[in-house]
Amino acid sequence: MRILTRLGGPVRHLFFAALALLMAFPFYWMVTSALKTNDEIWRSPPTLWPEVPLWGNFAAAWNEAPFARYMGNSIFVATSIVILQIINSGMMAYALTHMKFRLKGLFAGVILFGYMVPATAVYLPGYLVLSELHLLNSYAGLILSNCVSIFAIFLIRQAFLQVSHELVEAGEVDGASHMRILWTVLVPVTRSSFAVLALITFIDQYNNYFWPMLITKNPDLQLVSAGLRSFFVEGGAYGLQWPLIMAASAFTIAPLLLVFLLAQKTIMQSVNMTAGSSKG
Amino acid sequence: MTRSKVISGLKPVLFTLPAMVPFVLFWLAPLLYVLYLSFTEWDFMSPEKTFVGLQNYADLFSNPAFYKSLKVTVLFCAGSVLPIILLGLGLALLMNRKLKGSAIYQVLLFSPWVTPTVAVSIVWSWIYEPEVGLANTVLDVLGLERIGWLQDPKWALAGVLLVTIWKSVGWAMIFYLVALRNVPSDLLEAGDLDGASAVQKFFRITLPLISPTTLFLFVVQLIQALQAYDQINVLTQGGPSGSTRTLLYLYYQSAFESFQIGEASSVAVVLVILCMLLSVFSFGVSKRTTHYQ
Repeated sequence: MRILTRLGGPVRHLFFAALALLMAFPFYWMVTSALKTNDEIWRSPPTLWPEVPLWGNFAAAWNEAPFARYMGNSIFVATSIVILQIINSGMMAYALTHMKFRLKGLFAGVILFGYMVPATAVYLPGYLVLSELHLLNSYAGLILSNCVSIFAIFLIRQAFLQVSHELVEAGEVDGASHMRILWTVLVPVTRSSFAVLALITFIDQYNNYFWPMLITKNPDLQLVSAGLRSFFVEGGAYGLQWPLIMAASAFTIAPLLLVFLLAQKTIMQSVNMTAGSSKG
Repeated sequence: MTRSKVISGLKPVLFTLPAMVPFVLFWLAPLLYVLYLSFTEWDFMSPEKTFVGLQNYADLFSNPAFYKSLKVTVLFCAGSVLPIILLGLGLALLMNRKLKGSAIYQVLLFSPWVTPTVAVSIVWSWIYEPEVGLANTVLDVLGLERIGWLQDPKWALAGVLLVTIWKSVGWAMIFYLVALRNVPSDLLEAGDLDGASAVQKFFRITLPLISPTTLFLFVVQLIQALQAYDQINVLTQGGPSGSTRTLLYLYYQSAFESFQIGEASSVAVVLVILCMLLSVFSFGVSKRTTHYQ
């Protein structure tokens, strides 16, 4: 490793170029496999680029299962969750950082405790709670059960801690309500943390699979990961129609890669903030 | 108390309710509920839950399948967390010195992290296809023996781990890059003046200064590894012959496939306790060894 550093620029470029290609290769393989005929895809050794690219495979896969619906569902659910998380983590973080009340220590402690509990471990009782509330098989259940995130509260709390308390006091002197101070003073100052929160939450929720699959059995309500997975397993697709499966995977992944390319800076920045919020 | 005092006393409560209500409903209550369920016998269907005390735990701790999946869990954690941290650190060190165009490399290395695990796992299951899959073709080209990547109990866990590492290594690298940039250069220059070698500088200065990042990645990746589900579900479903069945996967199979709620709940409780012990342990370690600036 040190030898590589010593050899300097060109060698490191070669190394990283090769590595980056290697890492991105599964995506390339997905797209080129999607363009092949069923005959060609089963040929050995495999062809690096399809003889005749069948762009129609994408349309065929798109029509084979209700992917437009799945993606719409995912975008709707993810967006709703983002909005709710912004509201409740903003308010919670405000109370924890700029208000005085007796239960503060208890609330902060309970939330810290929640940080240590793996969410997936409580899916089974969570499922039973949702069924008691008659919220199974509904977006209300899916959205409400995801609307609070401990990570979000930590992230926003950390951002609010860095805002000087004088700003808040100045607002109080002016007679502004807490709500007003929160949304017109604090949130604009810390908007980059909220941007990070929105992006990370959107990506997480769009990618979410396990919990939505458990609680929404109705195919019309399925999110894109679960929809893709059922396309993969059912309909004789398992191993028989690999080009179509690859095409479907491609358009499931594409929106996220696009979001990522457009918002790379914010996402990379999130790293800084995530690490910061973990220090408490 | 005057009316206005009551109202101003209520305000913090109103501000915390939107987060606390769902938190209690979907985190705290389930946590207590799963603890209760672990002391009962129930099959999901029958109206009654029979209280059985510690029976489920006694059964669990005498069940060889439990120990097998405990072993798989430990292997999965070690096999994903250590490579992700070490490779992430290695790559970040290489990239840390000025390198033109490194932003492009960063984007490419980071991209797997933003994509849905289910979708990329499906792509990988095609790469792992035993006859014409890319993975075995590469082994052919290298003159090595073909592997039953997901079909052979000896290799299946490695196959799942490879996808897991592929997905997270770029993410860890970015964390380390940020941390390395925050290492004050005057400290390293002071090291130079004292005649420290690159290795000494790395172990004496850089490594201690980035230890909070290491700790953070360690805890986050460990908890992620304990919760891994999507890639196992798509690639192997816990098989072949239990070689990729982690504790979490065992929990879901006993809950939603064999409907033994009590037994499943006891697995969940063990998992939660494991996570809490690990978190408390690493917070303890962090207090003693990491350096915050």
